[in-house]
Amino acid sequence: MKRLFLIFMAAMATVAVSAQEKGYLTGSFETNDHYYVADEGNGLRGFEPDDDPFGSNNYLKLDYYKGKFSAGLQLEGYAPAIIGYPSELDKFKLTNFYADWKDEDFHITAGTFYDQFGSGLLFRTWEDRALGLNNALMGARFAYNWDNKVAFKALWGMPRYGMEFSETQVRGADLSVSLANIIGLDDVVLSVEGSALNKFAEIGIDAEEAGAKPSTFGWSGRLNFDYSGFFLKGEYVDIGRQLVAGTPKRGNAQLVELGYNGRGLGVTLTGRRLEWMGQRILPSVPSPINMMSYVPAMCTQYTYMLTTLHPYNPQIGDDTSFAYNSGEIGGQIDAFYNFRRGTALGGKRGMKIHANFSTYYTLAQEGTAQAGNLLFRDLSVDVEKQWTKKFKMLLQYSMQEYNPSYGANKTTWLSNIIVADLLYKWTSSFSTRLELQYLTTHEDQKDWMAALLEVNFAPHWSIWGSDMYNHGSSKRHYYNVGVSYTKGRTRVAAGYGRYKEGMVCSGGVCREIPNYTGANLSVTTSF
Amino acid sequence: MRTFLLSIALFISAVCAAQVPSVKVENSKGEAFDTKALLEEGTPMIISFWSTSCKPCIRELDAVYDALPDWKEEADFRVVAVSTDDSRLLAKAKSFAEGRGWGEDFVLLFDKNQDFMRAMNVSVVPHVFVVDGTGKIVYSHTSYVPGNELELFDAVKKCSR
Repeated sequence: MKRLFLIFMAAMATVAVSAQEKGYLTGSFETNDHYYVADEGNGLRGFEPDDDPFGSNNYLKLDYYKGKFSAGLQLEGYAPAIIGYPSELDKFKLTNFYADWKDEDFHITAGTFYDQFGSGLLFRTWEDRALGLNNALMGARFAYNWDNKVAFKALWGMPRYGMEFSETQVRGADLSVSLANIIGLDDVVLSVEGSALNKFAEIGIDAEEAGAKPSTFGWSGRLNFDYSGFFLKGEYVDIGRQLVAGTPKRGNAQLVELGYNGRGLGVTLTGRRLEWMGQRILPSVPSPINMMSYVPAMCTQYTYMLTTLHPYNPQIGDDTSFAYNSGEIGGQIDAFYNFRRGTALGGKRGMKIHANFSTYYTLAQEGTAQAGNLLFRDLSVDVEKQWTKKFKMLLQYSMQEYNPSYGANKTTWLSNIIVADLLYKWTSSFSTRLELQYLTTHEDQKDWMAALLEVNFAPHWSIWGSDMYNHGSSKRHYYNVGVSYTKGRTRVAAGYGRYKEGMVCSGGVCREIPNYTGANLSVTTSF
Repeated sequence: MRTFLLSIALFISAVCAAQVPSVKVENSKGEAFDTKALLEEGTPMIISFWSTSCKPCIRELDAVYDALPDWKEEADFRVVAVSTDDSRLLAKAKSFAEGRGWGEDFVLLFDKNQDFMRAMNVSVVPHVFVVDGTGKIVYSHTSYVPGNELELFDAVKKCSR
């Protein structure tokens, strides 16, 4: 691998200096550093006095562009990884590098790359630094586009797992045919698409005896339609036979999205069914970063403190946790509407409203689950109004109900949460923002309250302080203070606080974060 | 390591100002859109990377949306809002943008696998760029607090003269 990289760098340097046309170098750097302190008031779990008090995640990315050619690399360093990150992320390494050539029709890539087929249910490689996931494919990709009528893509490679590239071989092809462009319908989008994927991964003797095979074949078929604001998308996915708890299971999923966007109104209805959709890079390793399908939770992604205490973790049908089942079925409806300026409800400055309802159920009596039990239900409404030139208000209500046994029984926990987000601009460069939040529930840790005050001095400084207090049970405060300075593309932020254990979720997997107390420093820059 | 440092030095010796690279994203209808096509009009533009779960991004685009009628009287430019939401929130992002009226005044693009975001070396959102009429990036800023939009418009005015 080292020799390959040296040849790669020498070739790139030669290209960079040999041609008349000048290219450009661009890049980014990000560091997130923690210093942990002992805090008996923060429970028994998490950081202990004998542990390493430091955590540091670092990323340097460089890209060089010249005409149709580009090349780049990424260095990552974990010294050691921040608490809660996958243990596979360790030390410094040149993790990703690529060379790429493209024109209007052709696109060729060698090295590491990210890609996906359709919605990613069949195949997706991507980077999510918050989750510690990077499953970039090391290999080659060829794509051809014929006049936006037919698009074809073929790829081969070995997905990254942790700091290394696995020995699992992935080969895939994707075809998209635009019937509307072929027929010549200008205002209509109508396309049919399909993908095929082969994965070859080593499996143990036990798995082979159970009927699993090292080579699996998956495919998907898709339909896209859009006319005059109305849209319909359908996708059927079969990922082949995957190992679940030592037994091969055929994974499949169906996804439908339909809705309308126009005249200030946006409505989307989503329905999805998942069954045994845990497609792993390494078949027998139960790790949250061991995945090559993108199976996210299809519900509201909340951002306020108390609304994110229990993010929904979709039941994709794998065995990474103690509780597992065959999958889930459910859907959501999302509606956005803009009351225009000058209307009765819009007033002088307009008003925006959003509502979401989502609900998901277990599929069948499999693993630890019973059939048809509610897994998650959520109803949320938020209203946003600019009252005056200086004052803006957002009110949010959320009713979240989830099943703590992941479908093993019918018991659910219900929370009602209200949030007020109030922004006041005192001058053109000085503003304050206040968040007030309350969560009420009869279950779990009972009631919570939270507040955040942010003071902003544009264009450079921001200072904030927040507290999340569980007054229903533990009587514990989770406080946080911080300051950030931004100049152009560079942002430096430092803070100190006590953090509650929780989950960071993405793509159908969640990373568990233990509770900890400490200082943190974050620097992001690009050039 | 020596080869690596030498290679970086050679790269740097052969560079010019960063530009907008050619990347395939989606438009509001879900059709493929090459970002190089943004340069065809030859006018300055603001490129703003946002996501539905990023509150500062939404505040920044709302501030630009509200100020746009006045700004347009002083400068000829476009606003390109690039959603970095992946397939989980892609349909929602399109409805969201429509529900805020952005579709009327902004060019809406959707970067569902973050290819454009990576190519522009955007680590976190919000992140805005001002691109002049020749395609060169003349201003860039990460994060947003109310009032940052004034600095953004100053950069637009400088390159639209």
